[in-house]
Amino acid sequence: MHPATSPTADAPAARGHRTAPRRAGLLRRLTAAVLAVPLVLGAAACGDDDAGSDGKIEISIFWWGGDARAKLTEEALALYESKNPNVRFKKTWQANQGYFDKLATLTAGGDAPDIFQIDDNFLTEYASRNATLDLMPYKNEGKLDLSKFPESLWQYGVVDGKLAGVAFGENTQGLVYNKSLLAKHNLPEPKTGMSWEEFIAWAENVSKTTKIPGTMDPSADYKALWVWLRQQGKDLYKGKDLGFTVEDVTRWFELWKGARDRGATPTADVIHEGNATDITKQLVVTGKAATSFVWANQMPELKKNTTDELGVIAYPGDPSAQWARASMYFSVFRGSKHADVAVDVINFLANDPEAGKILGTDRGLPSNLEIRKAVEETVTDPAMKLSIQVENELGAKFGPSPQVPLKGHSKVRSELVKFAEEVQYGRQTPAQAAAAFVEACKAAIA
Amino acid sequence: MALTTAPAPTPPAKKSVRAAAKTRRPGRIRHGEGLAGYVFLSPWLLGLMGITAIPMLLSLYLSFTNYDILTDLSDVEWVGLENYRRMFTADPSYWHSVQVTVMFALIAVPLKLVAALGVALLLNRAWRGVGLFRGLFYLPSLLGGSVALAIVWVNMFNRDGAFNSFLGLFGIEGKPWVNDPEWALETLMVLAIWQFGAPMVIFLAGLKQVPTELYEAAAVDGAGRVRQFFRITLPMLSPVIFFNLVLETINGFQGFTAAFVLSNGTGGPVDSTLMYTLNLYITGFTELEMGYASAMAWVFLVAIALVTAVFFSTGRFWVHYSDGDGH
Repeated sequence: MHPATSPTADAPAARGHRTAPRRAGLLRRLTAAVLAVPLVLGAAACGDDDAGSDGKIEISIFWWGGDARAKLTEEALALYESKNPNVRFKKTWQANQGYFDKLATLTAGGDAPDIFQIDDNFLTEYASRNATLDLMPYKNEGKLDLSKFPESLWQYGVVDGKLAGVAFGENTQGLVYNKSLLAKHNLPEPKTGMSWEEFIAWAENVSKTTKIPGTMDPSADYKALWVWLRQQGKDLYKGKDLGFTVEDVTRWFELWKGARDRGATPTADVIHEGNATDITKQLVVTGKAATSFVWANQMPELKKNTTDELGVIAYPGDPSAQWARASMYFSVFRGSKHADVAVDVINFLANDPEAGKILGTDRGLPSNLEIRKAVEETVTDPAMKLSIQVENELGAKFGPSPQVPLKGHSKVRSELVKFAEEVQYGRQTPAQAAAAFVEACKAAIA
Repeated sequence: MALTTAPAPTPPAKKSVRAAAKTRRPGRIRHGEGLAGYVFLSPWLLGLMGITAIPMLLSLYLSFTNYDILTDLSDVEWVGLENYRRMFTADPSYWHSVQVTVMFALIAVPLKLVAALGVALLLNRAWRGVGLFRGLFYLPSLLGGSVALAIVWVNMFNRDGAFNSFLGLFGIEGKPWVNDPEWALETLMVLAIWQFGAPMVIFLAGLKQVPTELYEAAAVDGAGRVRQFFRITLPMLSPVIFFNLVLETINGFQGFTAAFVLSNGTGGPVDSTLMYTLNLYITGFTELEMGYASAMAWVFLVAIALVTAVFFSTGRFWVHYSDGDGH
């Protein structure tokens, strides 16, 4: 940054004077330098002009993701710049780990980016605290075109009647399995629609034959619990309340305790490794289990971490319990000084055919159905092709979307991991852990 | 600014300067020097105010509010002692994190000091290559709270990590140390103990201060090595032990990086590595309850101050300062 340049620029000058007889001059210079440092720092702190020296409007944009996403996003933004020469982007991106810590800190400092990527974990947290701009007026005025989006998809961005984010990509739960391993041992592949009991029996058989645990134990995974609850006619949330009871969670924990006892899953410590959300740690790619419970659009990323062939189907049970979920959103910071431009950028990224082609399916299936069709016809990556195909197949069976998770959802997720692990490590019974979990959830969403 | 008030010491004007200095009123000199002092202090002072003092006072204020980071500071609600009440009466995970942290400090700090003193005693001899060993033992603590080191640790103490392979040589089946709730915290303790270099160097310096004639006199009186250690080395070293104990205890309480990396920032498995500072971080930045987290930080500050005060008040019973009249 700027301040770093001033002391280094001064250094050669000071060295030049070392031999000079005028010590007073040197002293004065030194004092000036000492005094200058805080001044420069201060000046740098106020140097964040909105319109840069070239008179352009600067829009800051922040997202999480890997190199590939960064490249595609930068390309699409460059396209916007070429069409709108008065706009310039300040792009920041980083890995998912730590992203939300940073976003929260930036927001606290009133320094949030004009546009930021967010997911359904945090959308309600931000929306209910008025950190996001309500985009509904823009939609109604036609400045933000969501007419080509599936209805349930854009509505998955509505919190308390306000449009808090624009869904960027659609995905759904996907059970990824190691095709090569099953083929090697002549084992049948799992199929969409098999019941949980059938699936666990299948996994037990895989464990026995291959000596590799048949399935990851998803009892700590909120999305697996969520699908399972919906299959029981329940839900994760209902209005401002929990949509399930202690008995439901007890049955869920018992289902997987049974699976572990039968050897269908790995041991608790390996399950713990797989409970990390990091894609590279999913057991299906680390070779520690034959399946993992993930999001279908993560297939291409998973494939990068293994040489084995992977397959993807719906989670066990009735697939109509799954839904078209917004894999992520773009939101506008309520304090943005250029909200109109920021909305226009989001509109462009979501609806411009060229931008859509550049972005591809990196964030999930494109929300705009016309662009989705165009992208599907041109995509070449086999893993991406497969995830599109599966999502489309499942799309026909999808049930209605649930409500956007409540404030406190991230705490609910971490509490589930904690109490599911209590059972996995054998430290608590399913009933004990379920009761404690429900109590913790109630506190979290209160 | 400061320099303009003090006359420049140019060589030809030497005499007149001295004369001027004689006639100058002392008050003015002090005033000028004071100002110059503050000017030179200013970078540090600004840092102290801006980075430490003001944020600390702000956090004290926030600890009585429901501040959640995302809400504007002007909109926070004053909740009085609610955060403190919740912490002490209604938050089991808070007490769990206190327990984890105290356990960590109680075990890791004494063992670390014993390791540091033991190695310092070994290295306090004059034999060839001793300098090299001093450097080698000091290395781990140079790496300090580094993320890289924590990652290495996680991989070493996995189920299929290097440590278990080593145990395998002896036919012992290891545990999934870092992924086992019974052992994860112990693994962190080992990491902390292994980094005994800093107190070791301080112990070494302390050992060199012990007068050799004391040992000679003791040897003449027939005291053995063990007796010499307990009767001479330990008492003479007690100020250094005291210093290390206070410092390492505070460090131990503040352990964060390794626990954060090992558990992916969750404090897992099953909250077994949920150190106080990690819990504070999760509360503030993940769960966005910054007001509550501020209250936790202030209780932490007071607790550390109390522990330190206890050390200082008991110190006079066992710390011997050999120089001067005090014991």
